[in-house]
Amino acid sequence: MTAYLVQAVADTASAYRDFPVIGSRAAIWIAAEIHLMFAAFVLGVPIFAVVAEAIGIFGKDQRYDRLSKEFTRLLLIAYSATAIWGAVFVFLLSTLYPRFWAYLTAIFGVSMWVYVSIFFLESFTLYLYYYGWDRWKHGRAKIVHWCLGILLNVWGTIVMFIADSWLTYMMTPPRDITPETSPTSIKLWHAILNHTWMPINIHRLIGNVVFGGAIVGAYASYRFLAAKTEEERAHYDWMGYVGNFVAMSALIVLPFAGYWLGREIYQYDQSMGITMMGGFMSWLWVIQAFLIAVLFLAGNYYLWVGMGRIPGAERFRPYTKWLLVVLVLGALVWGTPHTMIADSRELAAMGGSHHPLLGALGVMSAKNTAVNLMILSTFLSFLLYRRANIRQVVPWAKTGTRIQAGMFVIAAAIVLFFGIRGYFVEAIVRIGYSVYQVGAVLACIIFVTVIDVLMARGAQSLGAIQWGKMPPRSQYALFILAVTFTWLMGLMGFARSGIRQHWHVWQVMQDLTPYAATPALGYAAIMISTCVLVFLSLVGFIFWLGGLAEKSTFVPAVSTVEAPHVGH
Amino acid sequence: MWATNLRIIGIVLGTLALYTLIANKIPQVQSEVPHALTLGANVTPEQLVTAGDQLYHGAGGCTACHGLGTRAPNLLTDEKGQGPIGARCGKRESGKDCKAYLYESLTSPRAYVVQGYEPIMPEMGRTLSPQQLWALVAFLESNGGAVDVSASDIPATAAAPAVGSGAGGAPGIAGGSTDPMTIIRGAGCTACHKINGEGGAIGPDLTHVGSRLSANLIRESILQPDAKTAKGYEKFKGVMPKTFGHQLTAEQLEALVQFLAGHK
Repeated sequence: MTAYLVQAVADTASAYRDFPVIGSRAAIWIAAEIHLMFAAFVLGVPIFAVVAEAIGIFGKDQRYDRLSKEFTRLLLIAYSATAIWGAVFVFLLSTLYPRFWAYLTAIFGVSMWVYVSIFFLESFTLYLYYYGWDRWKHGRAKIVHWCLGILLNVWGTIVMFIADSWLTYMMTPPRDITPETSPTSIKLWHAILNHTWMPINIHRLIGNVVFGGAIVGAYASYRFLAAKTEEERAHYDWMGYVGNFVAMSALIVLPFAGYWLGREIYQYDQSMGITMMGGFMSWLWVIQAFLIAVLFLAGNYYLWVGMGRIPGAERFRPYTKWLLVVLVLGALVWGTPHTMIADSRELAAMGGSHHPLLGALGVMSAKNTAVNLMILSTFLSFLLYRRANIRQVVPWAKTGTRIQAGMFVIAAAIVLFFGIRGYFVEAIVRIGYSVYQVGAVLACIIFVTVIDVLMARGAQSLGAIQWGKMPPRSQYALFILAVTFTWLMGLMGFARSGIRQHWHVWQVMQDLTPYAATPALGYAAIMISTCVLVFLSLVGFIFWLGGLAEKSTFVPAVSTVEAPHVGH
Repeated sequence: MWATNLRIIGIVLGTLALYTLIANKIPQVQSEVPHALTLGANVTPEQLVTAGDQLYHGAGGCTACHGLGTRAPNLLTDEKGQGPIGARCGKRESGKDCKAYLYESLTSPRAYVVQGYEPIMPEMGRTLSPQQLWALVAFLESNGGAVDVSASDIPATAAAPAVGSGAGGAPGIAGGSTDPMTIIRGAGCTACHKINGEGGAIGPDLTHVGSRLSANLIRESILQPDAKTAKGYEKFKGVMPKTFGHQLTAEQLEALVQFLAGHK
């Protein structure tokens, strides 16, 4: 060990270089983070675009097709920004950390060539997709065009999976790889197929949809606020609703992918998991809970305000205050700290390693219960929004509503039952209970939605949604959602990367720079805010450019009877 | 429109400022990097204890579990009426003094999992040098017991280059011992396998393994545990580490294989 360290230190002169003023770690941090944010944007928005185009084709609603095209236009510029920041990142990494870069390329060189090739294909597919929009807009040609959109997503997903293999290898290299293992002897597929590769892939895939929806919502809200005509305002109001719907729907699924990732980290190395959840990063999860509480509250607030423009929604308004109570209480429980690194003075003040009262609420039994009830409440908000301007006419409507209510009660009861029972069983049994809680909530969401769709057949309209009749404060909620999603992405990136601590590659290649220690949350927050600010400023610039390049392509709403929002 | 733009900028900046402020208001904890110790031949027990104290409360990461009373035993305070670790370490394993027990608990923690706790502790030899490990032993001994670690302990293990882990420790597992049961305990086999009534039930019982497998198959099972999975244990495939080929010396591997093959 000593010999190895001495040798490594001796090599340091050629292993690292520093970056002026802000240092090499901050330089890499900013380049990687902003590249990742743009990458999430250019991967999330095509998913959004291709789904919108499909709704336009199969639902025969032109507005979705125009919406899809409007965003694909923005993608063209965003691709350039992604590539530029990617190049900045690679140049900084190869010049500031040459030894580490050489190590990575020795293992992943071939995959890097494949990455570039697919990025090339992806770019040209995007050009075909956008520039062929008006040429291939009828009949079979339109389907072929839509398939191009799917192909664009396939390329993007492959590119992301390849890049994920590099960063997950740094976190969880296969256990048979040691500091003495020559990187050239490591089989590429063996390195790719590490413990956290697939969980990160899935987590990012869903996260990108959330992110894409949030940015779409922010774009729409800006255009709504800047709109000069009623028609324009109605169009962007509708677009903002769609963006928020997509973001919130995908957000509900995201924690489950997060559980999987966390479990894989624990299975790979318990100490890494403990560092993440109960070690020096434990406060990070309190911040995360706060951010997610903001997301839930802002998302629900937007829906509740939106019900003001739906005739018939007034009958559901009394329920919203109770939903707010559940959300606030849930957020408070979720944000309760439990296992924290504390010094002797703090331990003495608490009277033990855990706070006597809050310690009971800070455990996973309480937190899982809280978050599942928050998800159920948010789903109920969506349901009330969906049903606001219709009256079901099917003969079994009352029975159906009772069954739906029963499903909510049963799901909440299961969540509460296992939440309370979790206090009386061993940890290993308690962990398994979260599966039952999640299962109950998901089953409720699926079955209640199916019943609702069937019940809405031939429903009587109480009046069309008054798109555009939204107070400006609702649009600011969409901005808060976009900023919070972006910040949360930066925070989770810090958590994922930070748990490697002073290792470039966990327990294989040590970081020997002066920046090896993972910084405290305060410093990380400043870095994250800086990156978010730069990213949002650039996105704002791109949106402005998009407006210059082509005038808005909105079309007036056609339907006046059926509420034309997602879900009907 | 300018008023709207300014309002949007204000909301974005305000939201960012709020999150940054909250993150700066909570306790600031930074991970620490374990610095290589350069303890000379004249190092005193007091110097070792001081170095161990710093490691224990800092870069060693010990306090993430020890001291909470839930994940791992208390070491610096009383644990179930047995006193702090320095007072009880000599009684934990018969025939093993405090110093040996603590050192092996750090390098092969799965061999010494205390009843009521999960085998979650990492092998500290992967991240700490022998000097750091001995400093930790000295510090733990000093909590309720007498420190008997001296400079002579350190070169004895530090001189030999690490095998496999590349991060420290004597060659092979359990200090390079060729006693099969010492290897089995040192490698943590009994955390999952039972042999002669000792150990867990996650993996196949090894008490009569020689009647089921030839020496060659036993060797293959140690080096490539996933190559063939014993019937009934398919769901545990992937659990057994694939690192023994790097961790065991050739002499240890053969001693272990012959020992197990002889268990008919």
